[in-house]
Amino acid sequence: MRLYRLAELTLPGLAVGFIAGVLAGGLAGFVGQPVGWALVTGLALGIPLALLGAGYTMLLVQNKVRLGGFAPAALYWLIAFPAARLLHEVLTSWILGGSPSLPPDPLGFLAYQGIVSAGFSIGFLWLHERVAPQYWQRISGRNPRAREVYLRYAEHARILFEAKERRKAMRDQVRAARRRGGRPETPARGADRPPARPGKATAVKKAASPTP
Amino acid sequence: MVDSHNPPAVGSGEATVAGEERVWRAGGLEPMPIRPLPDAPPSIHLLGPTVFLVALGVGMGESYMWPRLVLVFGPEIRWLFLIGVTLQAVVMLEMARYAMATGESIFSGAARVFKPLMWFFFVTAILVYIWPGHLSAGAAAFEEITGIPWVVTACVALVLVGILFSLASVIYNLLENVLAILIGTLVIGTAIIASIVGSWGDLGSTLGGMFAFGYMPSEMFTEAWFPVIVGSIAFAGPSGMQQMWYTLHLRDSGAGMGAHVPKIRGLRAAKDEEEMPARGFMFDTDNPQEMEKWRGWRKWVTFDAFLLFWGVTMLVTISFTVLAQSAARENPNVKELIEGGDRDAALAAMSDAFAAAGSPVLGSVFFGFIALIGLNATLGLFDSFSRGQADMTYFHVPGARRFRLSHLYAGFLWGVITFGILILLFGPADGPAGVLDILAFLSAFAMGAYCVTLLLVNNKMLPKPIRPKWWSNAIIGFGAVFYLGMLFYSLFRYGVVL
Repeated sequence: MRLYRLAELTLPGLAVGFIAGVLAGGLAGFVGQPVGWALVTGLALGIPLALLGAGYTMLLVQNKVRLGGFAPAALYWLIAFPAARLLHEVLTSWILGGSPSLPPDPLGFLAYQGIVSAGFSIGFLWLHERVAPQYWQRISGRNPRAREVYLRYAEHARILFEAKERRKAMRDQVRAARRRGGRPETPARGADRPPARPGKATAVKKAASPTP
Repeated sequence: MVDSHNPPAVGSGEATVAGEERVWRAGGLEPMPIRPLPDAPPSIHLLGPTVFLVALGVGMGESYMWPRLVLVFGPEIRWLFLIGVTLQAVVMLEMARYAMATGESIFSGAARVFKPLMWFFFVTAILVYIWPGHLSAGAAAFEEITGIPWVVTACVALVLVGILFSLASVIYNLLENVLAILIGTLVIGTAIIASIVGSWGDLGSTLGGMFAFGYMPSEMFTEAWFPVIVGSIAFAGPSGMQQMWYTLHLRDSGAGMGAHVPKIRGLRAAKDEEEMPARGFMFDTDNPQEMEKWRGWRKWVTFDAFLLFWGVTMLVTISFTVLAQSAARENPNVKELIEGGDRDAALAAMSDAFAAAGSPVLGSVFFGFIALIGLNATLGLFDSFSRGQADMTYFHVPGARRFRLSHLYAGFLWGVITFGILILLFGPADGPAGVLDILAFLSAFAMGAYCVTLLLVNNKMLPKPIRPKWWSNAIIGFGAVFYLGMLFYSLFRYGVVL
């Protein structure tokens, strides 16, 4: 049951990765290409991207990456996307050609895939952030972890907003003190920053409160 | 800013008072009551009304016209695209300034300056956007995949769009969700295709070409190519009146003072529409707390303009340019066809090149994405056109307020759909051949005209503390000279519009 709930949580990343990967295969089937061809091309990319997409969601759920942030997603896909594409190339050559083979210039191939991964990660994050919070809110009634991660989204938005407000207030204070010619009070180090992993400390407490 | 004991002269753009209510007087129209500005959302949001601009903007310019120029003149020509899209991002920020400060569309802003200016945009929208030609590229691509004749697809799509928007409770929410999914799929899909067919060299040259400032080969200045280049710059990102419609989407998303204006509803839920005010609202620009909130809204929209709009538009164009380069390498015929200017033949050749290079699947996927771009543009365009015309009619045609705004929206929507189906079945989809040049001229002229309108509206109709900075005015002024200057130069020097 615990495993099922965990798997249920990662569905958004799994779905986005899978859909992206099998798009080619699905379209091919639709237009009457050989079914085997379509299946191999679609699944050879769709399954790795789905698993890696689920991996990203899992990191998010486990609070290992920042919510809604582009940099962590880009970094993750910088490694994951070229790996998925390499696997795709090897698998398709193996299944359709009879023997597994690497692309002609493996290092150049990986470097190029690494650059393209930035574009993929924008699209992935765009879809993931659109789908995931709503999905977690929907299943939060039966899955406490989903409720926790959804509340973290709400909490994250609040913390960022308040931290920004505090920074502004402090800047104004310092400016006002300078204008008066006095020495501004030194704010405590990190007083203007949100917690390193927003929501980690608050999510458990908040989980007891009603869903917003 | 509003002082009931010190009312300034009427029409000066300063604050004044009607009775005891605090108001902001702008132009000759009804003054705007002062209301609180809502708090800006935190900056972690990923999507906003920009999704409409991306849906409208990422079209044939990005997927065909610019890849074509790269093949003809080399990747260095892309510096002009960089200028075009960056200019559009600044235009977007300035469009948002008036809409977020007042909850009014830029059309109403134009009417406050000079009413005939607004009527010019009303007539231009009908002349340019009533023709269903924009459906043809997407529907033709769908025909390549499925074999279904494009006219059938286009007619069915038109009816489905009408039904979808009529059944929606709040049209904005439905459309934002649908377009967000479609654009996300487009971005993720083009990245995957580029990763399969592109190469390190293609990407490097495409990116490097964006910074070859000043590159102008002599072939550019010919009758054959100059109008094409002007058209491509004008159509880099959102073209024609699409930026103006963005102000309506901003209002419906509840950005800034748009929160005080009810949303447009679908025909089925029109009876639930709240009472629509006769004009927009203004916030107290003398209040430091309100100004702090305003700065929050400006940051919010700047994030949208540069990360989402600029970033996604760039990404899709770079992907398609890489695709065109690799297709031309695979099959020299592609280069000739693309250079020749027959769009459908060129797209088909690119699809064939991918099919030959990678797999038969890739050719179909390429057409799938062209169809997806067409679907995005169709959804966005029909909604935007109806929204803009309904807005101008409701607020500025005497007697129109006895209808609900949602009813007017539905009227324009079904009007343009019915006309579109009739034209698809019995007439020329792009418009009568005799007026094609005039329509192309009007579309580009509207872009220069909205830059001038923006300068007038933002500098004359808004309170001083929230007017644009000098550098922003300079960029918009440059935009007006750029669009109008290039258009008229092309017209008088080469006798060709676009």
